[in-house]
Amino acid sequence: MTVRPGSFAFMALVCAVFLPCTPRVAPAAAAGKSLGVVYADGRQTEDVTLAKLDKDSDELFVSAYDLARIFKATKFWNPDNRKLVLRIGNHRYMLTLDTRVVVVDETPVLLRMNVRFDEGSIMIPLEFIEGVLAPRSVEKIALDRTRLLLSIGSPEYNLTGIEIVDDKDGTRALLTLTDELLYHIDSDTPGILRLKIYGGRLNPLKFTMPEGKGLLNRVRAEQVEQDAYLFFDVKKTVQRYRVEFEGEEAASAAATGKKAPRKLVLFLERAKLPEIPGADFAGKKMVEMLDEGAKRKMIEPVRRIAVDPGHGGSDNGRMSSSGVKEKDVNLAIALMLRDRLKEELGVDVVMTRTEDVLVPLDERVEKANAAGAQLFVSIHCNGWFTSDAEGFEVFFLAPARSEEEARLGRDENASVSYEKQNAPEESGGDIDFILWDMVQNEYLTESSDLAEMVQREMGTSLGIRNRGVKQTGLRVLKGLKMPGVLIEAAFLSNPKEEQLLLSPEFRERFIESAIEAIRKFQGRYPGKG
Amino acid sequence: MIRTKGWRSIAIALAMLAVIVAAIYLVPRLRTKGPAEVQKVSEEMRAVTIFFGNKSADGFVSETREVPVAQGFEDQVKLVLGELIKGSRDSDKISAMPDSTALIQVFWVEDTQTLVLDFNNAFVANHPGGSAGEYYTISNVIKTVSANFPQVARVQFLVEGNQVESIAGHYAVDKPIDVKKWR
Repeated sequence: MTVRPGSFAFMALVCAVFLPCTPRVAPAAAAGKSLGVVYADGRQTEDVTLAKLDKDSDELFVSAYDLARIFKATKFWNPDNRKLVLRIGNHRYMLTLDTRVVVVDETPVLLRMNVRFDEGSIMIPLEFIEGVLAPRSVEKIALDRTRLLLSIGSPEYNLTGIEIVDDKDGTRALLTLTDELLYHIDSDTPGILRLKIYGGRLNPLKFTMPEGKGLLNRVRAEQVEQDAYLFFDVKKTVQRYRVEFEGEEAASAAATGKKAPRKLVLFLERAKLPEIPGADFAGKKMVEMLDEGAKRKMIEPVRRIAVDPGHGGSDNGRMSSSGVKEKDVNLAIALMLRDRLKEELGVDVVMTRTEDVLVPLDERVEKANAAGAQLFVSIHCNGWFTSDAEGFEVFFLAPARSEEEARLGRDENASVSYEKQNAPEESGGDIDFILWDMVQNEYLTESSDLAEMVQREMGTSLGIRNRGVKQTGLRVLKGLKMPGVLIEAAFLSNPKEEQLLLSPEFRERFIESAIEAIRKFQGRYPGKG
Repeated sequence: MIRTKGWRSIAIALAMLAVIVAAIYLVPRLRTKGPAEVQKVSEEMRAVTIFFGNKSADGFVSETREVPVAQGFEDQVKLVLGELIKGSRDSDKISAMPDSTALIQVFWVEDTQTLVLDFNNAFVANHPGGSAGEYYTISNVIKTVSANFPQVARVQFLVEGNQVESIAGHYAVDKPIDVKKWR
């Protein structure tokens, strides 16, 4: 009697040790094969386990569970009659265990292999995807048997093609876009023109050209989050470049609401050395070329700047875990910026608030508009749900509020063009670039230029992660009658950056780089005065 | 002594027998672990994709889950967004839904293809703030809706039945958001 409990304990122990060691019963044939699945709808690429269930055939099987997930199917299993019903898109597929019959809607189709039940899962031969699903799918389904790769849907690219044309005047790169998108071009790296297309989606393989033509050595393309980048490696004999949308007929088609592909053209002008002595003469010629009856407009020189400390009053903005309020940090930095702008640039500053009060977003915009400010700078701190996120970012307003407004905007802007020139000291290396640009939407080009300049200055001086320039529909920037940017200085939700935001040194670097960016902006847009 | 020894050997024999019995009984059960899955789907299930922000707030990550097939469209939306509100077990997937957020009601306006989502007050009151946080709060909802319900063209956010200017002061949500244009 005294021993029995002991023996039970022993048994329990043996069971506890023994059972976890029971080999997981995996079918020997299934080892090692997996199907890579690539989606166009934003889902991550994944690997799905495949099984080889038949000694005499190489056919691979995928579980009904995985299949339903991949194709976003609804599935219904009736254990009584061993039937599985999958609903994918507008079709209903009924499969019966241990048979080859698939009833598609009402029509039976025969597979080469049976649908099987194995290791607790319903297993469906890959042939089902290829032969039954793919031909009936609205989405493109491609199964590559040799690489075991399944791709579903085709990504919606809005940058669809590139063509290089070379003639006696120079070289043109013609990009085909399905939408009119905002772009920004710079030549910070000598010999490289970087064209950023906001909201652009492209296939980098299609746009990368290792061998160029004419004045282009090569082209490289990248997709970075929401935006597309093209890097044009150009020859030293490029005198000037400009970027513009081509074609009046395309513009009028767009104005009537029709979606027509547009061509964005990068034009590289061949230097006619040594006949052309300076940029001036050539510049005039270029103006004539571009103008063609359009009225030219220059923005006013920057003499008054609106500074907007985010949040305030009952709206704390982000609160750090130690209780630091975003509204207070924003105000402290903004007031510092006000004083230094006055001192160093001699400009007027309009503040949207100077105290801890709540000012509605529309009122901030009205204040700046009413005061006739020529730039709007909003100061914020960022926040995230965990302490991981870090860095600064710069925003400017997205265009096209609605199709109607966009259309009106285009009509208004059709008669307006801007001319801008790079200050000579900004040109890189041997290449004497003069930037010519056409306006895409009032103030958008200027806003994006200012945003890029702020980002560049802060990127080199803040010493924290540069999250880049973003174009989104931020509420505070809507309705501004001037170029405007919003700067998210750093993350209050990140304890390291919270300390930075409170430190005088970091604030000093922030102010210095903001002022430097505005100074460069003034240089690029000197205005009439 | 002998008596004890005898008991011990009997005990060991018993123990081994028990192990064998246990193994015979349990191993096939482990083998057929699968049928649980099969039984589970005897209710009609639908695979859905839920979008989250990553932990450094610079990209989206998705997760596919199964939810029961609901009777009506509105109920289906509620089930799917319920999965987003629940969040992910993966610490790199941030739902960006403020604490205690609940989706009170869903309305579908067929004429304008607008989905109206009425959240509770916590959706705004408990939002930790920051434009990155706010961006993903809106985007995760929009992307999850558009991935699973392609018929939705616009999403209108409401808080306890009322329109609000914004959730945390950066993005306008007073008017319906065009799903295709949101970025």
